[in-house]
Amino acid sequence: MRAARLAAVGLLTGWGAGPGALPPDARRAAGTRAVIALEAPQVGGERFRRATRECRLAVAAVEAMLRDGGLAPGALAGGRTALLYVTAAAYGAANRVFVEGPPGGALHFPYTAPSAVPAEVAIEFGLTGPYVILVGGAEATREALGHAARLLAAGVAERALVLAVETFAECADLWARARWRCPRPLVEAAACALLGSAGARLPGPAALARLEAGARRRAGETLACAPLVALALAAPARRAAPARRAAPAGR
Amino acid sequence: MAEPVAVVAAGVVTPIGADLDAFWAGLVGGAEGIAPIERFPVSDLRVGRGGEIKRLPPPARRLPARGRAVALLAAAADDLARRASLDVRPERLGVVVGTALGGVEELERALAGDRRPRRVADALYASPARALARYLGARGPVLTVSTACASGATALGLAADLLRAGRADLVVAGGYDTLCRFVMRGFDALRALTRDRVRPFDRRRSGLLLGEGAALVLLARAADAPRGALGRLLGHASTSDGVHLTAPDPEGRGLEAAARLALAEAGVAPADVDFVSAHGTGTALNDPIETAVLKRVLGRRAREIPVNSIKGGLGHTMGAAATLEAIMCLLAARHGVVPPTLGLEEPDPACDLDYVPGRARAARPRVSLSTSAGFGGCNAALVLEGVAA
Repeated sequence: MRAARLAAVGLLTGWGAGPGALPPDARRAAGTRAVIALEAPQVGGERFRRATRECRLAVAAVEAMLRDGGLAPGALAGGRTALLYVTAAAYGAANRVFVEGPPGGALHFPYTAPSAVPAEVAIEFGLTGPYVILVGGAEATREALGHAARLLAAGVAERALVLAVETFAECADLWARARWRCPRPLVEAAACALLGSAGARLPGPAALARLEAGARRRAGETLACAPLVALALAAPARRAAPARRAAPAGR
Repeated sequence: MAEPVAVVAAGVVTPIGADLDAFWAGLVGGAEGIAPIERFPVSDLRVGRGGEIKRLPPPARRLPARGRAVALLAAAADDLARRASLDVRPERLGVVVGTALGGVEELERALAGDRRPRRVADALYASPARALARYLGARGPVLTVSTACASGATALGLAADLLRAGRADLVVAGGYDTLCRFVMRGFDALRALTRDRVRPFDRRRSGLLLGEGAALVLLARAADAPRGALGRLLGHASTSDGVHLTAPDPEGRGLEAAARLALAEAGVAPADVDFVSAHGTGTALNDPIETAVLKRVLGRRAREIPVNSIKGGLGHTMGAAATLEAIMCLLAARHGVVPPTLGLEEPDPACDLDYVPGRARAARPRVSLSTSAGFGGCNAALVLEGVAA
């Protein structure tokens, strides 16, 4: 059985693109801001006309990862790539729009499901392999990484894309109500890691938890994205992922 | 081939029965769980009927959180706990729960002016599973799966994976969803709900109706399972269509891949499958696609075995559906009866398998294939082995 290895990472946060954009201390850099937001990136044209910000962020993060790994856009296509998506809250904005919006909403309703985000990624990059969607924070992403490694070890997939997205801006007032439970700043992020048989060694659960503590100091609270931020920080630098499409919203 | 996992016991709460025995009696007897919705306003919707649970059994102890989702999960957990011991060190008891909607009803309340901080936390989709873990005293892994209406199958597959990886010794796994204005409004806007009855595989089928419920099973490694287990989960696979946000792949390639991968993981040949629990939503698209997939995967065997859909009586219970259907497969093996496909009266020529119309049929399916699909191109399949009583 071969251990899963980290082939490429993609990272967009409210601080900018890539791990190099992270400040040394997120709390200090955030000042009084409770949410560090990301603007909706420009992706893909007409097909994304109605897509939510979280869907676009997911696609942009995967594009950044492909650039990081020097991979072609079609590198993920087919049934041998597993897709594992995790979020704690990136459905909140779409749900709110639907609850507070006018009657109807047939075109928006499908985007309220957490599955809308990985669906757009699967459609865009042609992924048809094993598919898991978890809702939860960093713990759920660690579980997803473990499950991805087991899928690779069992030969069910040759590659596994572990993706997480978190958005907070549209529900910032709700998060403020629960601020006693929620560390600040909340930093929007879209992050992904491609696991396969080649690349850097994937840290074990204990090492990853240690790396996450450092990642939180630098990035702030990114919930489900935190383990992937940690992997991005730990990954050996390959090529710069240019901030071509995503930019911090400056809030 | 993966190590099989024992399905020790099950517990449910559904529109046709508030515990496992009542659920099974309702399935076999053709009970109708569809009725006008009474718990929230529906007068502005085209369709105001669904599989609403009119009366929930009182919980065995104080619920750890508010909300109907938690109440449904607790009712199913109480039923499960009456049938099997969950006696294991808390850190070795895991919880894996699937849902399409999570705590969205709590979000509606939070946005409607309920400013309690707790309401916001309850609105997170992962909250009901965490509440269930607290209710059960579980401190092992707690996962919330949201592969839309395939969630209840994916949850069982992930739970089996946790057991095989040694992450837990027992896992309570399953799915739930509640009927609320949010989801009724959404499906109503999509015009996916029928004004007729749900008619899976029928020529006149015109859409689905939603239902609510919770279904949980207790899973253990086969070697650790007590005597009298319901059966075994032999294989699971979940796949993505990668085709469309809401519509299924017209070729059903993702569902086909899920079924083939699940059979491969189970080490089961098509000729060894005795029964299929179909997703069978009664929509124009799903039923012929699913029929074609079953013919491709099972070959000649597809025409020799019973295939049913239980959504005619229950409605589509979303996150609970696949777990309820998996439990139904195991109960069919135990009792030697396959429940009928309610609502099927005039067969569609494009759906030409044996869908058990009319009434329950004597049969004892040992190996079952259960298929599920959902928004976002989610597909899942389970292969289960039942045990005769």
